[in-house]
Amino acid sequence: MSGHHNHNSIQHLYEGDQSKLYSGVMAHHTDVESTESKTQIKKIWKVFWILLAVTLVEVFIGMKLSHSMPKALLAFIFLGLTLFKAGYIVAIFMHLGDEKKNFMTTVLIPLVLFFWFIIAFLADGNFWLDINSHSPARGGHTEQVAK
Amino acid sequence: MSQATATTAQEQSLWGGGRSPFNVSYGKMMMWFFLLSDALTFGAFLISYGTTRFFSAVWPDANTVFKSFPFAEGRNLPLLFVSLMTFILIMSSVTMVLAVHCGHYGDKKGVAKWLLWTIIGGIAFLGCQAWEWTHLAGECGGLWGQFVDVATPVKEYQQFFNMGDAHVANVFATDPLVAMQSTHNFFNYFFTITGFHGGHVTSGVVFNILMLVNTVNGVYERRGHYEMVEKIGLYWHFVDLVWVFVFTCFYLL
Repeated sequence: MSGHHNHNSIQHLYEGDQSKLYSGVMAHHTDVESTESKTQIKKIWKVFWILLAVTLVEVFIGMKLSHSMPKALLAFIFLGLTLFKAGYIVAIFMHLGDEKKNFMTTVLIPLVLFFWFIIAFLADGNFWLDINSHSPARGGHTEQVAK
Repeated sequence: MSQATATTAQEQSLWGGGRSPFNVSYGKMMMWFFLLSDALTFGAFLISYGTTRFFSAVWPDANTVFKSFPFAEGRNLPLLFVSLMTFILIMSSVTMVLAVHCGHYGDKKGVAKWLLWTIIGGIAFLGCQAWEWTHLAGECGGLWGQFVDVATPVKEYQQFFNMGDAHVANVFATDPLVAMQSTHNFFNYFFTITGFHGGHVTSGVVFNILMLVNTVNGVYERRGHYEMVEKIGLYWHFVDLVWVFVFTCFYLL
């Protein structure tokens, strides 16, 4: 139990400068002009160009093709490109890709709930539209006009 | 047997205290957990919007609603202005990640420079949003709680729809009030969600200004690390991330 015998000497770290409790991303580097630093900056700009290019593709599809393509295909393409962009932002800009795998999964697993939320709620919306447009008792639709 | 012993020894050193098993500080971990809860909030808003949209027979068309550009209001320029806003926000995300990078190297001047650019980007985005809101509310008459009066002339909400679509034209011919209800819902969701996002951008700009003051005054230099830039950086990137989804849901789909 090597972690226990020096318990008192590390106590101040919890109360003061926490950066000494971990290494990794915040490890102190010294030279911002070093090759390592420049490689990272290059990577950041590369991600910027990727995000910009994907956004331009999205805008092009939205402007020129959105009225001529099947709605489901359009939604599929847009959601795919959106998740692609989100992945780059989270992994590179937010450095989640550089964190420990345990931490990555701790943050990402709760988001799996969204799969069910989206399926359940959109299906429910669809169901209501269906009910509203086929119910003769409600005159074909029940959309309330709020007062 | 020897394998089991090795595993136990490793776990003791990892979870035995004295260091963070996740290799992150308390503050950074809690920022991630806060962002997780914020993601669920934004997700709830967007899914609610999606549900309402799925249950509506017709919905305003993004290319028709968002077709204006400052100083060229009469022209039909769909999505151009929001593309500019998106570009500004992505750009400010890049300047923020560069500030974080300089922080890792203890480069005070670099942190100050890139934080300043990030603040400028954030303010520029908010300025664009202010123009868009004013335009929609002023010239188009759309704001929270509008389009509720059954006596509203049809042309006041017909301007938001793609009338070239046969289904939409049919709904307008048979029961335009369905379209009015959709317009009402559309603007309520639009202003609520972009407003909630804009509130995040505003608080992010305030945090960035506070950090810039601290950086220039050498607070982080004396502290020995620029972790605060990293934590607020996470928040700022998250706001950019949310915009990626808002952009898709409101302007593209």
